[in-house]
Order: sequence, then structure tokens, then C-alpha cells
Amino acid sequence: MSLLEVNHVKKIYTTRFGGNKVEALKNVTFSVEEGESIAIMGESGSGKTTLLNILAALDKPTGGNVLLDGQDLAKIKESALANFRRDHLGFVFQEFNLLDTFSLEDNIYLPLVLAGESHAQMKARLEPIADQLGINKLLKKYPYEVSGGQKQRAAVARALITNPRLILADEPTGALDSRSTDELLKLFGAINMAGQTILMVTHSVKAASHAGRVLFIKDGEVYHQIYRGDASYEQMYQKISDTLTVLTTGGERA
Amino acid sequence: MSEHMNPAIVGDLPTSHKKRAASQKRKGFHPISDSRFFAKLAWTGIRNNRRFYLPYILTCTAMVVIYYIISFLTTNPLFDQMVGGSIMQSLLMLGSAVICIFSVIFLFYTNSFLTKRRKKEFGLYNILGMGKRNLSWILCWESLIIGVVSMVAGIFMGIIFSKLAELAMTNILLLESNYAFYVSSGAIVDTVKMFALIFLLLLGNMLYQVWKSKPMELLHSEQVGEKPPKVNWLFALTGIVILAGAYYLAVSIKDPVAALLWFFVAVIMVIVATYLLFISGSVALCRLLQKNKRYYYKANHFVSVSSMGYRMKRNGASLASICILCTMVLVMLMSTGCLYIGIEDSLRERYARNIMFDVTSENLGLSDSEYARDLRGVVEKSTRDNGETAKNVLDYSIVDFGGYVTKDKVYFDPNEIMFQANTWQMFVISLEDYNRLAGTKETLEQDEALCYVSKTDYDYDTVTIGNEEQEKTWNIKKQVEKFVNSGADAAQIMPSMFLIVPDVEEALAPWLSIMKENEGQEMRMHWIYGVDVPCDDERQQAIFNDMVENVGALNERMADENGEIPIESCSYECVATERASFYELYGGLFFLGIMLGLVFVLAAVLMMYYKQLSEGYEDQARFEIMQKVGMTMRQIKKSINSQVLTVFFLPLMVAVLHLAFAFPLVYKMLLMLGFSNQNMLIMVTVACVLVFALFYILVYNITSKAYYKIVSSLQ
Repeated sequence: MSLLEVNHVKKIYTTRFGGNKVEALKNVTFSVEEGESIAIMGESGSGKTTLLNILAALDKPTGGNVLLDGQDLAKIKESALANFRRDHLGFVFQEFNLLDTFSLEDNIYLPLVLAGESHAQMKARLEPIADQLGINKLLKKYPYEVSGGQKQRAAVARALITNPRLILADEPTGALDSRSTDELLKLFGAINMAGQTILMVTHSVKAASHAGRVLFIKDGEVYHQIYRGDASYEQMYQKISDTLTVLTTGGERA
Repeated sequence: MSEHMNPAIVGDLPTSHKKRAASQKRKGFHPISDSRFFAKLAWTGIRNNRRFYLPYILTCTAMVVIYYIISFLTTNPLFDQMVGGSIMQSLLMLGSAVICIFSVIFLFYTNSFLTKRRKKEFGLYNILGMGKRNLSWILCWESLIIGVVSMVAGIFMGIIFSKLAELAMTNILLLESNYAFYVSSGAIVDTVKMFALIFLLLLGNMLYQVWKSKPMELLHSEQVGEKPPKVNWLFALTGIVILAGAYYLAVSIKDPVAALLWFFVAVIMVIVATYLLFISGSVALCRLLQKNKRYYYKANHFVSVSSMGYRMKRNGASLASICILCTMVLVMLMSTGCLYIGIEDSLRERYARNIMFDVTSENLGLSDSEYARDLRGVVEKSTRDNGETAKNVLDYSIVDFGGYVTKDKVYFDPNEIMFQANTWQMFVISLEDYNRLAGTKETLEQDEALCYVSKTDYDYDTVTIGNEEQEKTWNIKKQVEKFVNSGADAAQIMPSMFLIVPDVEEALAPWLSIMKENEGQEMRMHWIYGVDVPCDDERQQAIFNDMVENVGALNERMADENGEIPIESCSYECVATERASFYELYGGLFFLGIMLGLVFVLAAVLMMYYKQLSEGYEDQARFEIMQKVGMTMRQIKKSINSQVLTVFFLPLMVAVLHLAFAFPLVYKMLLMLGFSNQNMLIMVTVACVLVFALFYILVYNITSKAYYKIVSSLQ
């Protein structure tokens, strides 16, 4: 059984006063195996964010289903959803989404505090993660005192600390400079190597080129996918660029 | 995820205006010809921000209404003609001055809040090509619109409500009201002048703000990163110490004159302490809680405690102001309310009987004199002639003198007698009179005395009276309850000691001669005679006038060939005459208390409303993140609730605490004004707090709804 199965997912938005219907996702099907690292690419408006919201159980599909460890996300009760998200999913956002009223340490603790863990447990969990991410010395600082890359690393730590089944990253490099981007991608690579499943939505060819598999979405459907195989980052980069060219110039489906 | 933008601010600008603004730039602005355009922009700005502007305009209107009503009442001919002069009108004049000053401060506060919220919009206009001159034009139009709307609406409603206020006032003052409707043009002109000036000042401030700022600053003015609150332990501790000091003062002061003096010191101390504690103390408390890891890292406390620190850092000052306003309103309402409700009690205290005579002489034994006998006859005759009978006859002799009190010594030192804290009024009364008045059968030995001390406590077993050369000590057998309403005591703010001795003549003999030699320091023998006449004020007045005439005749009859009468003086008063001026003073105070209370409450409420609204917009983004990180809607609601509740009710709770400690001081001061019904004061206080809390909860409901609406518009 795959870790995540997305079966014929369809999403139609209705504008507020009835009227127009917008089909954001037509028919999306794919699955994610444990330990994979996947990038989903597509132009603005292709339905990437809608898909991510559905995967995060923030939104429900109009048709089809999403199974995480065989559990249908749409069937989880509203009241249990937040807990489910907290225990099974980790999030990394483009804008970091750190709370400015908390120090980095407290930001990272937040999901655990909500889960009711004791301070000693939290501390024990944070230590190895902070080591791995190299944010040991920053823990007492506040978000406004550190750089974007450092903020994103704290956000990654926050995503990792609950030992999630799946990390969902939404344009994680979108707000970072190129050096921080490289560092973060290297970090994702290392985390993935350690067995963490990562699913990332991105515009950036560079970010996608670090993934094990890249899915391309166009007009609400999975249009194409590329496996890395043994390709180097550069080769992968080239392959993705070529596919995007085909995608945007409207070539025939490969 | 895009950075969350506040729709009320950014969405403001209709696209047509944006385009128009851009195209206007190319052509260049002509302030006059484009004035319609600016007026329109100003109007759109107000309309689109109505959630902020409506309460502001309503407040301005309410201020205008209240100001108009007060100046209407000060110039109302109905009260001009009122008996007993115009105490009330000068009170109202004072009140209108307070309202003026307060309006300016308060409207400045709300206005700066609005300006801050609109800076982003102005930044956008600026980037679209509007110069600061153009922005200034928009601001001018905006002020004009708001000013005109609130003044027209305010004066209109003021005129409507002024009749109501007039009726309320005549009711409070027990006057006859007429049904003529009267519009005071003088009051209208006054109001317009006053508020035009205020709006001009506000406009000036806004223009200054816009001129000194830079466009990018305008655009990002709302997103300045905020440092975590720093704890100022010194301030927090100072706050605690000052507050403790103020509370100690309030509770420990026994002497009413001292209470009056220290009250203002205590008020200032409480104000300072409140600001310190709300600004620093609250942050310090949050920090202490954060340091307690067991407490802090709990789902219920984690978010609330950390954001409370920020909230208090930002809002400490305004919450302190709200707290002080609440305290002021409550103290004002409870004291003026009590004075008004207790008018009849105070009258009884001040005038022990409906009609009072106070005859003084240089000699003792006045009550057995021929003059006293005849006066009793006059009183009886006058009442009988008018078909009434005198009841509750009060008839006793008393000696009074001023004394300078240190511990258990009362010295009559003429040089020391001044208006100061340790000057007491001494009364000496015979045991015989006391037993008759109090209905007791006390007995006393040679050097024993009973004593009653008003307005304060006396903690000694003896009292020594005299001067450097000669003094006499009395053993106080016991301190007794109040046994007679003494006008002389009620009319003064200093404490009085009633010393009940077996033989007055013997007790005072040693000093009578000394007293006579000393100018300015006197020992007076009084004979007090009073009766109740059970009929209405008008008849009482008639009887009293009759008596006064007869007393005049009596004095003529008693006079010897040199025109000397056998007494020093004979003063008489009738409560019916005095009642009107009591109602005027206390009723006026009460009315003013309600008016000022209304203004202050309005201010507190509006401050609260704006606070919550602006917090709501800031919290929106924060709670969105928390939801993404896995906070349930229920946890979010719970956290919001506890924070909003704390921010909202903290000022009220502290205000009630202040009030509790102010209670003894207020009571002392009311005592000086002849109000001594402690139970009633407690009841009125509780009632005031309840009414106020009810009002507060109402506003809380409205505000928290608006707040939830903002915060839960996530997704």
C-alpha cells in the first residue's frame, strides 16, 4: 500500500452567488510511496494550491478521494481534522508562517504543545532536529531577528518535530535568496535520505530538480511525470526545463 | 501563500479611482476644479472604512449632543430664574469645561487611530501619483464631511434631547417644569465654535502626520516588525509599591480633613500606579508565567500568555486609561448619587428639626432664662395660630469652642486655630441633657465624662483640655453613640468631640475668664431649640415667617433702655427654605455626575471597540498560521476568548478594586458633606458597579462579535 493515494480527485469551486463554476482540478490521480520526495510543478492557476489544500485536508474534493495510510481524508470528522493534521502532516510554507510573538524555539514547540506533550519530552525531541538543521544557537531568537533562510529552517524543524508521515511544502524556496535556497534543498535532501517523505509544490525548476520525481499539472490534470532515476541534479534540471517548454508552448502530450 | 492583506484597507480603492487618480496626475491637479474629485475620494474613504468611521462619527455626535445640552442648560432662562442663585449653572459650566478638555484629548486619540489605519491607503494614493498637497485636500474634505455631519446630527439630536434633559433636571431639582420648547441659539453658536476648533486641531494633526511621512513608510506603516516586550522590573515594582502606598493611605486615614487633602494625593498615586502596572506589571507577569515552563507549555496557556505580553505592551497605556476612566465614572456616580439620594438625611443631619433656633449668650443657664421661656411661647403660638402643632421638640444647652488636638490633649491656643487637620470642634454638654436626649440613665463621677467623636475615631481613655498654664483631665467612662443631630457639626468639615460632663459650669469655670480675654478664640454658650411641624414646605415657611416676626417683637420687648437684649444672638433657620438650595447643589452634582459619567463611559467603550478591532486584524494572520499548524477551531476560539476577556475585563476589575479601596476615603468626604449612611453608600456603590458592569458586558458582546467576525474570516 502506498503512503498517499490520490484517486481521481476533482474540485469545482462555485462563485459565491451561485453563477459560475470553476473547475480547479479535473481528474488527478497519483500515489506517493514511503520515503519518496516528490515535486509538483505547474503554472499559476493550474490547480497546484488547490491540490495541496486537499492533501492537507484543509479543503475537501468534489469528487474522488485522498488516502493517507489507507485513511480517507474526507471521512475524518471536522473536529478530529486539526489533530490529524498535527499528528500526521508537517507543513512548510513559502512565507514561513512563524508566529512573531514566539521565539523560534516556542514556534517549533507549538504543535507539540497543542498535542499536550511535556516540556521535557519536547526538549528531547528538539535537540537532534536542531542539530541537524543547524539552528541550535538561534533557538532563543525571535523571527524578526533572523534571516529568511534561518526562519525557513525553523519552520522545517516545526514540521519535523511531530514525526509526520508526510511533509507538505508549499513553494518552500519562494521567499529565499539563492544561497538559502541551496542550503534548504540540501537539507530537504538529507531529511529525505533519512526516510522522511516529502511532497513539495513549486515553481522553481531548481527546487524541483532535487526531487526524486516531478509531477506536472496542467488544466487540473497530471500532465506528465519525470523520475530522477540516476540522473544528476543538472540532468534533472535540463529534463524539467524541457518538459516545461513543451508544457507552455502547448506541445502534444508526451 | 500570499501575505494576508487587510481587505478593508486595500480593497478600499475602487479601480475607477485608481485609474482616475493616475490619469489626473498626467494632467496635473488643480485644487479647486478637482475639489469634487477629492470630496468624492474622501467620501469613498469614509464609506469603505465605515467600520472605523461610523463609531468615530457617532462619538463626535454624542460629544456634540452632550456639549450642546450642557450649554443649553447653562443658558436656559428656566434655571436663571430659579431660587437660590445659580449654583447648578456654575457647576454645569465647570462640567462643560471638563468635557471640552476631555473631548479634545479623546478625539485626538481616536483620530490618531483612524489616521494610522488609513496610512496604507494614502501610501497607495501617493504611489499612484498624488502629491501630499492632494492628500491634504482629501483630508480636508474628510474632516469637513465628518465635522459637518456630526455637528448637524449632534445639534439636531441635542435640541431633541435638551427638552428631555431639562425635564430630568427639573425633576432632579424638584422644580416645576413647563412644556415650552426652547432652542438656545447661544448654545448652538457655542457648540459650533467649540467643535469647529476641535476639528481644526484634529485636521492640523493629520496634515502634520501626512506631511512628515514618506510614501513607502505610509504603505508599510502597518507592518513594522515588533520586538518582543521588554520587562521593566523597576517600573513594575514601583507600580506595586505606589499602589500599595495609595491603598494604605486610603484605608488608614481617619481624619476627614486629612482625607480631603490626601484624597488628591491618593488619586494621583493610583493613576501613576495604574499606568505603571498596566504597562510594565502586566508584561512582567506574562514573563514570569513564561518562565514557569510547566505552566507555560500547556495548550491552554501557551498562545494566550505569549500574545498577552504583546497585547499588554501595545495596549497597556490605553487599558490603564480605560481603567482610570471607569474608576472615575464609578466614584463620581456613587458619590453624587449618594448625596442626591441622601439629601433628606443630610437635611435632617444639618437641620435637626424643621425649624431651629440657636440662641447664644456669654453666660450659662440660658435655657432657664426668661428669654428662652418667651421664645418657647412664641414658637408654640405661631404654630397654633397656623393650625398646626409643634412636634419632636428639641431643647438643650451646649457649649462650644475650637481646640487644637494632639493625641489626647485639646488645647485652645488662639494662634494655632486655623483650617488644619488637627483642629476640632469641641462641644460640652451636661449629663442631664444627654440622658434626656439619648433616653439613658448614665451616671458619672467627679472627673468622669462620656464622649462622642464625629467623623473620625478617638483612641484614648482620657482627654485633657486646657492651655499651657492650666489643664484638666477627664477620664472617659465610655464613648457613646451619636445622640443628637447637630447642625454645627454637620455644617463643618472638621471632626467634633461632644464631651458629656456631670456639671458644665464647674467644668468650664477655669477657662471662661481666659476665653473672654482672648480675641478670636471664644467659648460660646448655646441654647438649641427646635421643633418639627408636620406640614408641607410652603406652610412651614409661612409658620416660620410668622415666628421670625414674633421673635423680632420679642427682642424689642426684651431690650433694656440701651437697646441691649439679654442674649448675644438668636439665629433661626427653617429647613423648607434651605431644601431648594440643597437640591440645587446635590441635584446639580448628580446630574453632572451622570453627564460626565456618560461621556467617560462612551470614551471607554469606544477605546475598547477600536482596540479589539485593530487587534482582530492583527490576530487574523496569527490565527491563520495556528490553524495551519494544527490548532483546532475550538482551541482558537478558547484562546481568543480568554485573551479578549482579559483585555476587556481587566480594566473593570482593577477599577472595582480601586473603588473598594477608595470607599473609606469617599465615605469620609461624604461625611463632611453631612452624609453618614454607610449602608446606603454601599448599596449605591454596588448598584453603580452592577449597572456599569451590565453596560460593559453589553459592549463586550457587540465588540467580541465584531472581533470574531474578523478573526474567523480565515479561509
